[in-house]
Amino acid sequence: MVTRTTVAAFAVAALTLPVAYAAPAAASHGGGGDVRTSGGCSGSAHWKLKAKPDDGRIEVEGEIDSNRSGQVWHWTFKHNGSVSARGASRTGGRSGSFDVQRRMANLAGEDHFVFRAQHHGQVCRGTISY
Amino acid sequence: MTALRRPWANPLVQFVTASLLLFGITWWATGIFSQRAARSEALADARVTTELLAHSVAEPAMPRGLADGDPGAIDRFDREVLERLLVGDVRRIKIWRSDGTIVYSDETQLIGRRFRLDREQLSVLNSGDTEGGLSDLRRRENEFENEEGGLLEVYTRIESPEGEPLLFEAYYSVEAVKQRSAEVLTPFRRITVGALLALLLIGVPLLGVLTLRLTRASRARERLMRRAVDSSEAERRRIARDLHDGVVQELAGTAFALSGTAREPSVSPPLRAELEGTSESLRRSLRQLRSLLVEIHPPGLNASGLGAALEDLTAPAASAGITTSVSVAGVDGAPDHVITLVWRVAQEAIRNAVRHADASELTVEVLGDERQVRLIVRDDGVGFDPAAPAPDRSYGLRGLQSLVEDGGGRVQVESAPGVGTTVRMVVERR
Repeated sequence: MVTRTTVAAFAVAALTLPVAYAAPAAASHGGGGDVRTSGGCSGSAHWKLKAKPDDGRIEVEGEIDSNRSGQVWHWTFKHNGSVSARGASRTGGRSGSFDVQRRMANLAGEDHFVFRAQHHGQVCRGTISY
Repeated sequence: MTALRRPWANPLVQFVTASLLLFGITWWATGIFSQRAARSEALADARVTTELLAHSVAEPAMPRGLADGDPGAIDRFDREVLERLLVGDVRRIKIWRSDGTIVYSDETQLIGRRFRLDREQLSVLNSGDTEGGLSDLRRRENEFENEEGGLLEVYTRIESPEGEPLLFEAYYSVEAVKQRSAEVLTPFRRITVGALLALLLIGVPLLGVLTLRLTRASRARERLMRRAVDSSEAERRRIARDLHDGVVQELAGTAFALSGTAREPSVSPPLRAELEGTSESLRRSLRQLRSLLVEIHPPGLNASGLGAALEDLTAPAASAGITTSVSVAGVDGAPDHVITLVWRVAQEAIRNAVRHADASELTVEVLGDERQVRLIVRDDGVGFDPAAPAPDRSYGLRGLQSLVEDGGGRVQVESAPGVGTTVRMVVERR
């Protein structure tokens, strides 16, 4: 029992540690009312998040840059804590990156978005508020 | 000339005016009816569209959690159906919970807000029917609507995946109703206007020809009447002259001779009395004959002599004890046929007054201006009911009417039992 508990604790720590060790996000405001944040993932990859108004909606764009082409990443967009979109994308090009955009409802008050992407244990997690 | 002075009297003008009036009424009525029909049709269309959007687009795509306000569910639903819901004339979509919370709208700022549902909306939510009408844009739920022409709202019931009844509401531009109205109205108006124009194009020339013929016939009749009057006048003049130069002179001479003989000393008193009586009788007959001559053909009847001629006409009334007065003004320069007509009408009216009115006063007024000459003959006699049948009087009135109409004037007889009689005549001074 002790051994099992220790293994389980280690596994949870292994999953969460990369997020804890991820570089802190840097938020900035671009032109045209858009908001951007970026940061590092648990591995060598980097993530970027951008939110901008789009005809009464908020267009949220997430980008993963891993420098390795052909990797399949599973990603999720959450809106105020609820899953808004999920999918899988393959990195491509010389930079080994992919990006996804989704239009979210601009609800009353501030909207919080989380973009989470995962590839073979490497986890990227970015947040942005609009 | 009459048509120019009184254009409404022209049948052609009457026809064109009536046609234009009919045209206007038809234009207005078709507008009203087509608008109603179009509104009804547009509402029916909007109902069908709403039911289609609700049951074929929104309901199947609705994710679990939407009715509970789950933001992710809202996003997914919005991305999937927005473009399929805002089609054609649809301007706004709202999905309500029964407590008045908007769980989804294409205007996302409304999502999560709560408003009071009205009775009709609640009824639809309960019954599942589809209802609609003009939107009240003053309601708080419509604060984002700025459609200038107004909106038409239609609602129906749908169910969430969890089985909760929701109210699906679609708003449509009223401009579409107007467009529909124009679509219904335009062909109908083309047909109506075309038919009316065709009627005018065919009718106006036909009526013009008919009017021309009637005018010509009327002028010919007028000429004939004038000739008949002239002939009658000439005949009267000849009879009057023959009587005056023949019988009257001889009667005057005989009366004078009888008076002279009666004054002879050799004549016995009884014979003298008889001769003087006979002479007096002859003179009386002579006076009556002269009065008759005046009636048959008044000597020198023109504007300047009208007053005296009217005085002569009222003389028998004065002899019968009726107080008479004659006034004439403003007739200088009036044509002789107008003066003759005035005299003839006055003659008929005075004759009627003397024969039937049992009047104590009789006034004759003639007043002229640059356009017309008016005659008023008024008595304070017993009067009569113009509507009651009275053959002898009606013949006289009919004759008076005919006389005036033939002379181009208008006559009016006002009377009632006990209040006397007034005859008014107006004739154009031309």
